Amino acid sequence: MTIPVAVVGMDCRLPGAPDLAAFHRLLLEGRTVAGPVPDDRWGPDDESPAGTHSPGGFLDDAASFDHGFFGIAPAEAAAMDPQQRLLLQTTWRAVEDSGVSPRALAGTETSVHVGVMSSEWGTLHLADHRAMTAHRGSGNGYCMAANRLSYHLDLKGPSLAVDSACSSSLVAVHLAATALRAGEVDTAIAAGVNLILTPALSVFYASAGLAAADGRCKPFAAAADGIGRGEGVGVVVLRRLDDALRDGQPVHAVIDGGAVGSDGRSNGLTAPNRFAQAEVIRRAHRSGGISADDVAFVEGHGTGTKLGDMIEVRALGDVHGGRQAPMLLGSVKANLGHLEGAAGITGLIKACLALEHRVLPPTPGGPENPELRLAEHGLRLAAAPVRLPSGTLRAGVSSFGLGGTNAHLVLSSPPPRRTPAGSPDDAVVLVSGGASRHSLQAGLRELAAAVRAEPPARRGRIAWTTTQVRTGHRHRFAVAATVEGLPAALDTALAALDGAPEPERPRTPSIALTFTGQGSPYPGMAVPLYRHCPPFRAHLDAASEAVGAVGGATVTGLLLGGADLTPTAVAQPALFAVGYALAATLRDAGVHPRVLLGHSVGEFAAACLAGVFTLEEAGGLVAARGALMQALPTGGAMLSVRADEPRIREILGAAMPDVAALNGPQATVLSGDGEALTKAADALTAAGLRCTPLAVSHAFHSRLMAPVVEEFRERAGAVPARPLQVPLASTVRGALLPAGTVLDADYWADQLCAPVRFTEAAAHLADPTHVVEAGPRPVLLGLLRQAGVATGTGLACVPGPNADGTELAEVLAALHHDGLDPDWSALFAPAHRVLHRIPGYVFDTRNRFWFAANGNTDALAAGTPPPPLQSARPAVETPTPDIPASDVPALVATDAAAAVLTALSEVSGHATGALVPHARLDDDLGFDSVMAMRLADELEPRLGEPLDVEALLPHLTTVASLIDHLETRLGGPAGEGVPA
Amino acid sequence: MSSTVLGTGTALPGAPLDNAAIGARFATDPRWVDRFIGTKTRHLGVDLDTGKVTHTLVDLAAEAGAAALAAAGVDAGEVDVVVLATASPDHLMPASVNLVADRLGIHQVPTYQLQSGCAGAVQALDVAGRMIDAERPVALVIGADSCAKHLTLDRDFPALPPTELVNYVIFGDGAGAAVLSAADGETGPRLGPVRNAFVGLGRDPGQVIRWFGAGDRDSGEQPLDEDYKAIEAGVPELAAQMLDELCALTGWAPASLTHLLPPQLGGRMTAAITEGLVARFGLTATEVSCVADTGNNGNALPFLQLHRLLPQLVPGDRAVALAIESSKWIRTGFALEMP
Repeated sequence: MTIPVAVVGMDCRLPGAPDLAAFHRLLLEGRTVAGPVPDDRWGPDDESPAGTHSPGGFLDDAASFDHGFFGIAPAEAAAMDPQQRLLLQTTWRAVEDSGVSPRALAGTETSVHVGVMSSEWGTLHLADHRAMTAHRGSGNGYCMAANRLSYHLDLKGPSLAVDSACSSSLVAVHLAATALRAGEVDTAIAAGVNLILTPALSVFYASAGLAAADGRCKPFAAAADGIGRGEGVGVVVLRRLDDALRDGQPVHAVIDGGAVGSDGRSNGLTAPNRFAQAEVIRRAHRSGGISADDVAFVEGHGTGTKLGDMIEVRALGDVHGGRQAPMLLGSVKANLGHLEGAAGITGLIKACLALEHRVLPPTPGGPENPELRLAEHGLRLAAAPVRLPSGTLRAGVSSFGLGGTNAHLVLSSPPPRRTPAGSPDDAVVLVSGGASRHSLQAGLRELAAAVRAEPPARRGRIAWTTTQVRTGHRHRFAVAATVEGLPAALDTALAALDGAPEPERPRTPSIALTFTGQGSPYPGMAVPLYRHCPPFRAHLDAASEAVGAVGGATVTGLLLGGADLTPTAVAQPALFAVGYALAATLRDAGVHPRVLLGHSVGEFAAACLAGVFTLEEAGGLVAARGALMQALPTGGAMLSVRADEPRIREILGAAMPDVAALNGPQATVLSGDGEALTKAADALTAAGLRCTPLAVSHAFHSRLMAPVVEEFRERAGAVPARPLQVPLASTVRGALLPAGTVLDADYWADQLCAPVRFTEAAAHLADPTHVVEAGPRPVLLGLLRQAGVATGTGLACVPGPNADGTELAEVLAALHHDGLDPDWSALFAPAHRVLHRIPGYVFDTRNRFWFAANGNTDALAAGTPPPPLQSARPAVETPTPDIPASDVPALVATDAAAAVLTALSEVSGHATGALVPHARLDDDLGFDSVMAMRLADELEPRLGEPLDVEALLPHLTTVASLIDHLETRLGGPAGEGVPA
Repeated sequence: MSSTVLGTGTALPGAPLDNAAIGARFATDPRWVDRFIGTKTRHLGVDLDTGKVTHTLVDLAAEAGAAALAAAGVDAGEVDVVVLATASPDHLMPASVNLVADRLGIHQVPTYQLQSGCAGAVQALDVAGRMIDAERPVALVIGADSCAKHLTLDRDFPALPPTELVNYVIFGDGAGAAVLSAADGETGPRLGPVRNAFVGLGRDPGQVIRWFGAGDRDSGEQPLDEDYKAIEAGVPELAAQMLDELCALTGWAPASLTHLLPPQLGGRMTAAITEGLVARFGLTATEVSCVADTGNNGNALPFLQLHRLLPQLVPGDRAVALAIESSKWIRTGFALEMP
């Protein structure tokens, strides 16, 4: 049995159909696209032979190319065969369609098989060897069509072009499937591409009597009068079906088998052969383990030539003649024309769409040709759309080459997948990205439309898919919302993007995780999060269980019931459970803090996260701690004073109570018995200090806690003392305790009476880029802000009583935006973790690279110095810098700087405006070794001295570093005005 | 013959409007609504301040249909037939069902629209159930109603008699939908038998909703007429007959029913009918009703009840739904069992 291969990703760019969805609409509407030869090909006044001006299906804007996305310099892009450019963009989108980030394929055993039968850009640009350049060399040739994909996507599997004339791309698909079946690769990319840049084949068809007057193929129709040509590119991503299903990839259709053969020595080199075609179809059926009766429809080769149609129908009749019910027959050539090298894959994509959506689109060529006697051959022309039955559907796709290479694949409909939707109340994150702001915004608008078009319960899947597919771009975007609220959140976020500052190159955030202490709880804290964040819910339930019954209920029950959390026996376990659940959710999502800090009782959750305690141990200890304190006599009091400790001591002298917390330079908390504190408050107020009594039942962190110290030490001593796995900025010691420090029972006993040395501990939070607070409200972030020590971005997991439950997702969204790549599966509930088709990356179409229309080929024919490169240049419409340009001081126009900018621009083709100081020569500007050589050549005369390329190479990192280096060498104003 | 309910969905426009809000707008006493109608809240696809339509019937039906497909995990391309029941289509032509199919991306399959009222949902389930088979197994069935066309907001409400005023408080807008499958091996509650019969031979209509075109728009006739006395008298008996018939068909003892989905006329009348059925059949089933929260939204009601029922079902549960249409008297119902 042949191993079934799944078509998991598809994309295409075809005449009248810029993407897959548009192609599907075009097919269902039965549109045809033939039109006159565009002005940018060859001139309307060209007096070449018959056929030159045959209409055809031409691509819109084949010249546009997002060179910046792929890090290709304009000069190189302009020299590249546009077929390569089309393949790059379409392949990227096809991989995205497979539910995989193209970057995730880097380094994998992925093969590339590109069917291509014309290389007319090369014909135009390689004819004059005197105009040859390195980039023209690498920019042309069949091989490069495939190899460039492997290069830019870093794919390590076989990479080859396939030319078997008109069957090239279906043969490419067959070879790709074969590589998968052989176990040679795990993912295979198959493609076909065809651009018509010269009228050569049009003239050939006309002279052979094969050209349709209206440029339209009318396959199997009475009106069939020959071939109309078409352009396009199609890409499919293939996996072994088992692998695809295991990885949850959506399947368009399944390739059950296939065969490729040749006419052999037939009636003539280019004459089609009925028996050879029938044989290849039979072999394909055998390979797929199916019989002719199983096949619901065949996507025929269907060129619409009388002879070609006749032979194809007879060959099909040889296989299908005895059928009970007729088999449907159609061909996409009726819509688009004959796409030559891309014809087979276009038919394959159409067949996949038909199998996936269970409607066979019509073949709009008019009434069938009665001479074909289709019915007698067991066939029926699909002149109108046909609804296909349910159950497993089977179909065939044929593609025949001019030189006799015939290919036939047998397909089946995707296996049924029932995945009921998740809760619309769950908080999720939708991410996106782009190489430029322009692409990011354009892509987001398409995503927003796709989200809106889905029923609320399924929107979570789109969000999930974006986290799997649309990551790793320079411009990062993430928005958190409930599944139901995604459309509105996206609209708001999109609007906020206008005028937002250009992003810096993201670096992995370093994170400090802090845990709120006593005084922060309130009834119903974190309940919105409990309702909207399933992983938090699971962790809180676990923590609640670990803590055990407090106040006659579980922590979860108390929170959901809105119970009073004032008694410390309840407040401490509840605070611990919430802090732990927040941190554990973040930890599961891949948030690994560099340093932890817990304010007082907050240190238990911190220690738990740092590996000191198991959840059960910590929960038990906190519950015991709360209960012991609760049992102490009430009557203690605490007083918050806006002053530092020495100043207070100076005023109170011997009447100084215990210091409970040093929360900041002007934030000190005193603790002791009520009477003493009332007196202290009077004295301090009289001295002009602001005092705020805290609503507490006991004098925490004072000697009044001493009666429980020994019992708690004993309880803590019963738990194994383990070392910290993560450094802890200790509020007991007021110092950073490095990883490896053992927190023993004495530490926890000391904590009861000792002051909370927050200020000193917080000093160790200066470096992290982000400070996250895990607690019911961001108390510590406020203290840190007042103290001015931690300069990182502050993120609160719960903002307070007004929380809506999306905030934890927002923390992850913010961290992702700033460079973290979380494990999103820790946030999304399983019902949302279903890959869903999302709109493909929107490439920037503002940059165009083309040869000058009219006269280009004449110039070549005349043997005059060819204009292509020069003429390509004016057609490069202001390459837009995809490097952040704002907020960057202009380069001072030193001689060296000017020389470098001019030379770089000359060599790379970038406008000097794009050459901002921090632009990387390789990634951002597409600089390669060929360009380095030319750069030296350009710089030498400008600088007036010889340059050693070898010595120059280490400095070819950014524009600024190059200028800096040269200025130093020349003794100029080294670095002055040039931000490195 | 039975099919599997793969999923359900609902659409209720905007926030629920309570009796205080309705009372303020239509000069009705909220206590009167509470006591005599029993409806607590309803949703309207009309902005009562501006009179602007916020949700058309097609909006509601498409939203409910999409939600049901999502809940079922079924893609638009898998749907083999669509049936929509409504008494208040957006247009006479095109049929709303086709606008809904267009919204949902359903194509190249038969679509039907049933002109019906309270019985429409069950009629739609009946038609859909008969339209699907092993080869074309999946049906999307929708019931939806909108009273926007009947709400004249510029009347002298304090002067209206209770029989007219009741029309302003008893109804609500909404849609519900279910996805059915006739394929083997599906998991989910089994629907069937579904019964649906016209029983109004020689009987005066209990409810008339007129429609007006260019020729008779000035006829002065009242668009809506209800004979509440006839409804109150007729519906309980027809509901009992239906329950009896379904028990006979399934062989289920009435006492073995776990859930009852009674006719949803209004909160108070539904409660009275349920009470009568419980007493007469000795039922212990849990009542699943929605009308007190959603208002009477006609064709949507049994779907809204079904949507509330599904999460409650455990294997072995048996439910019976009853829907009686009082216009020209249609008796409908269905049985549903969780395998």
